[in-house]
Amino acid sequence: MKLTVNGIDHEVESHALRPLLHVLREEVGITSPKAGCQQGGCGTCTVLVDGEPRRSCLLPLAAVDGAAITTVEGLGTPEQLGPVQAAFHEHYGSQCGYCTPGFLLATHALIGRSPKAGRSEIEEALAGHVCRCTGYVKIVEAVEAAVGGAS
Amino acid sequence: MKAVGARLPRYDGVAHVTGRTQFVDDVRVPNMLWAKALRSPLHHAGIAKLDTKKAAAIKGVHAIVTWQDVPRLVYGHLEALGIPGDEPLLAKDEVRYKGQPIALVAAEDEETAQLATEAIEIDLDERPALFDVRKAADPDAPQAHHWGNWYPHFEAEMDVRQIRKGDIDRAFDEADAIVAGVYRPAAIEQVPMETQIALAVPEPSGRLTIYSCTQALYFSMGVVAAHLEWPLNKLKFVGGTVGGGFGGKVDTAAETVSALAALKAGRPVKWRWTREEEFLCSSTRAPWHMEIADAVTKDGWILGRKMLTLHDAGAYARFSPYGVTKHSFHHTGAYTIPNLHFDGYVVFTNRVPTTAMRGFGVTSVSFATEMHVSRVAEVLGVDPFELRLKNANRIGDTSPNGIAYTDPSTVPTIQSIAGAIGHELPGGYGAMTRDAREGDLLPEHLVAQVGEVTH
Amino acid sequence: MGLNDVSVLIPSSAAEAVEAFGDGKDVTVVAGGTIVVPELASGRLRPKSALYLGRAGLSGISRKDGTVTIGAATPVSDLVDADPPLAQAATHVGDLEVRAQATVGGNVCSASTDDTPRGDLQAALIALGASVRSAGKGGERSEPLETFLAEGAGRLVLDVSYDDAPRAAGYAAVWRPHTHHYTILAVAAAKRDGELRLAATGVAPRAVLLDADDPLAGLELRDDALASAWYRTQLLPRLVERALTDLEGGS
Repeated sequence: MKLTVNGIDHEVESHALRPLLHVLREEVGITSPKAGCQQGGCGTCTVLVDGEPRRSCLLPLAAVDGAAITTVEGLGTPEQLGPVQAAFHEHYGSQCGYCTPGFLLATHALIGRSPKAGRSEIEEALAGHVCRCTGYVKIVEAVEAAVGGAS
Repeated sequence: MKAVGARLPRYDGVAHVTGRTQFVDDVRVPNMLWAKALRSPLHHAGIAKLDTKKAAAIKGVHAIVTWQDVPRLVYGHLEALGIPGDEPLLAKDEVRYKGQPIALVAAEDEETAQLATEAIEIDLDERPALFDVRKAADPDAPQAHHWGNWYPHFEAEMDVRQIRKGDIDRAFDEADAIVAGVYRPAAIEQVPMETQIALAVPEPSGRLTIYSCTQALYFSMGVVAAHLEWPLNKLKFVGGTVGGGFGGKVDTAAETVSALAALKAGRPVKWRWTREEEFLCSSTRAPWHMEIADAVTKDGWILGRKMLTLHDAGAYARFSPYGVTKHSFHHTGAYTIPNLHFDGYVVFTNRVPTTAMRGFGVTSVSFATEMHVSRVAEVLGVDPFELRLKNANRIGDTSPNGIAYTDPSTVPTIQSIAGAIGHELPGGYGAMTRDAREGDLLPEHLVAQVGEVTH
Repeated sequence: MGLNDVSVLIPSSAAEAVEAFGDGKDVTVVAGGTIVVPELASGRLRPKSALYLGRAGLSGISRKDGTVTIGAATPVSDLVDADPPLAQAATHVGDLEVRAQATVGGNVCSASTDDTPRGDLQAALIALGASVRSAGKGGERSEPLETFLAEGAGRLVLDVSYDDAPRAAGYAAVWRPHTHHYTILAVAAAKRDGELRLAATGVAPRAVLLDADDPLAGLELRDDALASAWYRTQLLPRLVERALTDLEGGS
C-alpha cells in the first residue's frame, strides 16, 4: 500500500489492520509519534490525516490508504522551526518532550480550522492530550502565543 | 554568573519540538528482538512448576530467561545504606505480588513474544495474601515476607524507625488538650508518558550497551553489574533522556532482565512495558497509614507529638526503609515540636513494591502534618495562620533528629499565603520573622530543643 | 497466531459487506477501530478474519420521508450538531480526535466493561425511539434499539434510524473527568406527542429503556471501577429529574 507521509510516498507492506503508529515507527522509521498507551487515551501517538488530528495507535493502516499523513517532522526543522514549534520552544511548553509531538500537531490543526481560537476552544482541542511534566500552563501559553501569532 | 536569572532556551527544546529527541524506544539497532514478560497472575503463591520448553520451541523465540539465568539473583539496591537484599530479579520459589516478573521471552516480534509467555507452563499454589498494613501484626495475618510482616533491619537490628526527643509523658500531662487524627494517603502511580523500557545490545567485544530510561544512570549501572557479577567497565549505559520519571524510574530492573535475554540470545533485546503494565506492575508511591496525637495548650502551643506510621512497602523492601527514615526526620513538618515519640514501620504486603514519587517519604507526612495542624486550630478555636506562625520552625530550632535549622522559610511563606488570599494577620503575626526565638516566642518548653547553628 | 495471519476483507459497498459478514461467525468487524484495533494489536483478540467497513459506503446522515437515518460507519463527531439528546451524548464520546474516528455503529455495538464505560449514544437513540437495521444470521432485519441491545449480539449493524418529528429532549450525565469523559451515569429523555421515553447509560453493560414511572424498576446495579451500585441508585432518580427539567426547559 502507498503511504504518503510529510509529502513523501512510501510503499508499505504491513498488514491492513496494523496500527498506523507501528507502521510509521517500525516500517517507515518515523519515531516522533509515541506508544504512550496504545489505547487512544494519551495523545502521544497523534498524527494528522489529511490535516485532521487522529490517534495513530487506533487507526488501522487500511483507513489511511490514499490519505496524506503529517507528523511533527512535517511542521518544521531545527534550522527552520514552524510557528507552532517556535511558540512551544519560546514559551517552555515542553519538558521531557514525550507528549510534545502530539500537542504540536493538535495545535497546528486547531489554528488551521480556528485561527482566532480562544482559551476554552484551545482547552477542548487539547483535552485528549496528557502531559505529566508541565502542568499544562506553559502549554496553553504557548498555544495562545501561536494563535496570537497566526491572527 | 550570567545564567542565573536569565531566560535561557532549553538545550533540548529544539529537539523536542521537531520530534528528534531520541527516547529509548526510538533507538534503532539492527537485528533487535522484542521482549515480553510472564508475570504472576496471583498476589501470593508458591511456584510448583515452571517449564519453558514449549514456549522456547515456538518459531521466532530466541531466548527465555528465568531465575536460573541470573548469576546473582538477590541484590539489595541500597546495600551501601545497610539495607540487605530481599528481592529476586525473577521469581524463584514463590511470587509475592500480582504482576511479579517470572520469565522474559525475547522473540522476533512482540506478538510472538507474547504468545510464548502464554505457552510457559506454570503451576502456582495460591497462598493467603496481606493487603492491609493495619492487620500485619494480627496473630492470624498471612506472612507476606520471609523477614516477617515488617522490616527488621534498622540499625542495631531494630524493627522500627524510632525518634525519641524530650519528655513526651510530661508534654501529654501538661497539655490542655490532646488532638488526634488518622491520615491515609493512597498509593499514586507516577504515570510517566514514557513507560518503563530498556534496550540491551551485546557488543562483539563482550561488553553490553544498555539504553535505559532510568533516572539514575550510574545507580542502575551498579545494579546490572551486581546481578550479572560483572565489573562496571564491561557496561556502557546510554541514557539521560527520560520521558518522565517522578521517582518511578529509579528502581528499574528492566535493564538487568533485558541484558540477560540479550546475552542469551546473542542479539539486542528491547523490553517495552505496556501502559497496563506501567499501572499494574510498576512501583508506585506507597500508601501510608499515619496516626498523630498532639499535646496542645489553650494558647496554641504544640507541646508534643506521638506518631505511628505504617508505611506499605509492598512485597519487597527496595528503598522503603530509607523513605521511612527520611519521613521520620521530617515528621513535624514545618513546625517545632520539642517532645516527640515517633514509631515508623516498613510493613510488607502482597502488593507491588513501592518507591519514590516526588519527595519520597516526606510528602506523606507533610500532608498529614498540615491537615493535623488545621485540626488542632479548629479544636482550640485558634486562627490556623496564627497557630502555624507561632509554632513555625525558626533559625536554631531543631528537627526531630536534632539538626538545627539555619534558614527555615516557614514564617515568610505562611505570611505570604495569608497575603495572597487576603487573610488579615493581627499586628504581631504580620511582623514575625524567621529569626531565632526569643521573648514570648521562646516559652520554657521550647528552650531545651534550641540548637546551635553550625553552618 | 499473530495479526499477520488475520485475513481482511475490505468490501466496497453495503451489499458486499453483508455478504462478506455472512452469519458473523469468526469474523471481527472493524469500523472506526477505536475499540477493536488495540485489542487486535495487543493480541487480546485473535480472530481468523476481519471485516474492515471503512470503504463500504455506510457513512452519512440523511433526512428523508420523515425518517432520519444514520449509517453505521458515520463518525460520532458528525453527531455533535445532531438532534438532541443525541448531540449531547455524542460530545461525551472520547475526545475530539477519538470521536472523529469512532463510528455510530461501533458505539451502538459496544458494551461497557467493569472499568471502561462505552456506548454513550445508545441511551440517546433509545430515547428517540430508534431502530437498528442489521444483517447476519437469518438475514436482514430491523428492530427497536433496546431489543437489539438486549439480544442482537453478533450482527452487523447497517444503520440506525428514528422518526424525524418534533420532540422535546433532555440529557443529564455525571462523569469522571479524564482525557475522555468517563460516563458514570447518563439519562436521555425525549417526549413526542405526549409520550415520554427515558433511557439510561451506566446501569448495565448496554443502555436500557427505563420505566418512566419507576426508573429503578428491574435494574440490577453493580459496583464497578467508576462507582458503586449504591451511588448509582442514589444518582439515577436525580438524573431523571434533571433530564426532565432539561426537557421541559428546552424545545
